[in-house]
Amino acid sequence: MSKVVLELENVSKTFGKRKIIDNISLSVKEGEVYGFLGPNGSGKTTTIKMILHLIDSDSGIIKVNGYDTKKQFEKAMECIGGIVENPDMYRYMSGIDNLKLHARLRNIDKKRIDEVLEMVELKGRERDKVGKYSLGMKQRLGLALTLLHKPKVLILDEPTNGLDPAGIKKLRDILKEIAHKDGVAVFVSSHILAEMQQMCDKVAVLDNGKIVKVEEISQPKEETTEHVELRVKNIEKTVKILKEKFNIETKIDKDILNIVLPTEKLPKVVKELAISDVEIKAVIPKSHTLEDIFFDATEGGKNENN
Amino acid sequence: MKIIKLFIDENIKTWKKLSTKIMLIAIVLSLLAVLGIVKIMEKTEGKITTSYIYENQEEYLSQQIEYFETQLQNDKLDEETKQSMQRTLEEYKLYLEYNVSPYSDFWKNEIIQKIVDLKQSGNNPEKLLKILKENNFNEYINYQKQEVKLQLENNIISQQEYEDNLAILELKEKYEIGKDGNTDTDWKANIINGIEANKRSIRTGINQNTRKLLKAEEKQKLEEQIKISIYRLENNIPDASNGSNTNYRMRYELLAPMFSIAVISIAIIVIAGGTISNEISTGTIKFWALTPNKRWKIMTAKLLSILFYIIILVLITSLLSVAIANIFFEENGETYLYCKNGEVQEIGNTLYTVEFYFVKAIPVVLFALFAVMLSTITRNTAVSVSFSVALYIGNGLAMQILNQFITKDWIKFIPFNNLNLTSKIFTNSTDMSNLMFGSSFATSTTLGFSLAVLGVCAILMLITMYDSFNKRDII
Repeated sequence: MSKVVLELENVSKTFGKRKIIDNISLSVKEGEVYGFLGPNGSGKTTTIKMILHLIDSDSGIIKVNGYDTKKQFEKAMECIGGIVENPDMYRYMSGIDNLKLHARLRNIDKKRIDEVLEMVELKGRERDKVGKYSLGMKQRLGLALTLLHKPKVLILDEPTNGLDPAGIKKLRDILKEIAHKDGVAVFVSSHILAEMQQMCDKVAVLDNGKIVKVEEISQPKEETTEHVELRVKNIEKTVKILKEKFNIETKIDKDILNIVLPTEKLPKVVKELAISDVEIKAVIPKSHTLEDIFFDATEGGKNENN
Repeated sequence: MKIIKLFIDENIKTWKKLSTKIMLIAIVLSLLAVLGIVKIMEKTEGKITTSYIYENQEEYLSQQIEYFETQLQNDKLDEETKQSMQRTLEEYKLYLEYNVSPYSDFWKNEIIQKIVDLKQSGNNPEKLLKILKENNFNEYINYQKQEVKLQLENNIISQQEYEDNLAILELKEKYEIGKDGNTDTDWKANIINGIEANKRSIRTGINQNTRKLLKAEEKQKLEEQIKISIYRLENNIPDASNGSNTNYRMRYELLAPMFSIAVISIAIIVIAGGTISNEISTGTIKFWALTPNKRWKIMTAKLLSILFYIIILVLITSLLSVAIANIFFEENGETYLYCKNGEVQEIGNTLYTVEFYFVKAIPVVLFALFAVMLSTITRNTAVSVSFSVALYIGNGLAMQILNQFITKDWIKFIPFNNLNLTSKIFTNSTDMSNLMFGSSFATSTTLGFSLAVLGVCAILMLITMYDSFNKRDII
């Protein structure tokens, strides 16, 4: 079993009278990509800032690689790297100069700088001023900066903001590589579900400062059942056919039928429906898991509030 | 060790900024501006003295005589005016007769005054007329010596005063003060006048300026000043603050520190005022906060880099100032003189200039600390820079006004009343900005007191900024 490198125990934070973070606990293991999901204003960034000790928690313990971030700040910071909000660098300096500033503080040699530049594919552009970089390049430089000292824990706050699809894919690949190859624990916050589903091994959903759900994400594997959305003209007839011939329960949402069925049965169902003169408008397979988790978890919270 | 690395990083960061380079250029320009001003002064003043009086002297004097003679025919004038006119007329006639310029030839002017005095009191000015005719400067000094001796014999003056006067006359004789309208000796004349005044103060035990009794250390100070003055005369070292000094290099040396330190101050305040707030507004503070360095180390590195920046700027500026002076002026610059154990010591021009700049830059450190403190507390660069610059520019004037209205003793504890350290460390030199904005408390407190006040001030500011930076969240 792999080691827990990031641990939050009953952490709370209050701004004024508002409780931003309410008694949250979580643990991230080595080599794990841990997603931190939540709607805007749920406290994701605040939690990340507390982990990086940019702000103090009111109560609770945060441990990085076993070091308490409050009591053993410098040791904890040796093992952690992070980007909060934007990757902020000195715009009037070149990319490599920015990296060198950091490298000096952490006793990192030139070879590692080259290595990291190679990894984020900024080789050849490192002497340009950061001010001239595109957002994607800045994000990648920010990543390079945090990877310089080979952290055990990597904290990223909305890393895909402003990236194009190719950039997102590249980022995903880098993160997966460092997590699974180098055993880095990657802690990523986001509110974009699809992205998280492809990236993370485990997801925690945060709502109103509370962790409402923690879920392992099964990576694409041979699934035996499938969730399908059917759009047809004669709804009643379809329901009847499904019920009688295939023994499938349907959930009706306006004019959309939601069904769950074994994967191999789907062609037969469609064929049967077609033969029975049902006008099929669309058959949409749904990759549903994370979205369901998210809405199930957060909607409950919202209702309580209202 | 970590602080040193942070410090190096801070410096790299500062020097790579474009604004830093612009500030360096501004400092160089300020020096060149002063050079330009002094060069213009040199040209215009040189023209006035040579062209105006000497060429038309005879014509001018005869015109004046004619004018006074016609005026004297006028019956409407009262007796008093007539008398003074009569006197002026006689003086002018003598000027014309002996070809003396009323605007130079100072010792001859003196003789003419005395001749007219003697004539009016009914005595025979034969001796003086002879001196004037023979153009014999030494004889005139002898005449004055006899005069003084006569005064002593008639008990008009004391023995001490006689000796003092004699000493002054000997100095005048030695350095030919006033002879042949030589303007180069004007500064010597002023120094001798200064010696005379100091001797009088010591003799009477009363400060001639403040009309107060002299304290023991003040008396010692005056004696040291006399020694320095004599050393100046002997070694031909002019006094920079002397108004009739025609050494334009010294004028440059008076003005240059004032201008360039002002530019340095503003440059430093602009940098210091953005230390924390700029980093917070651009988010780059996270760049540092996410490294394994405690906050106080980051703060300390920042403060050290500002201090280092001040030192580098002041060093460059002072050396540049010396270089400019060496290139553009033929004269020697100011040599600082001071008394140590009764012996006069010299500090050479280059070393003195550098030292003077550094002492003058001590207040800059305080204003920088103030700007950093505001930057940490308000987290707003515009506020901290503008407020600090306003304070830097306005404090002299504000203190001058305040000191006039409040005469209580506690006013000396106000830090701004303790900022002009140059006048306390280099007691025998002049700081141009003290001449212009000098507060009445400029010299009344000791150096130790001023440093203590400023030190307490600095410590309070440091505590405030460290506390604020350590405890508040970085957002």
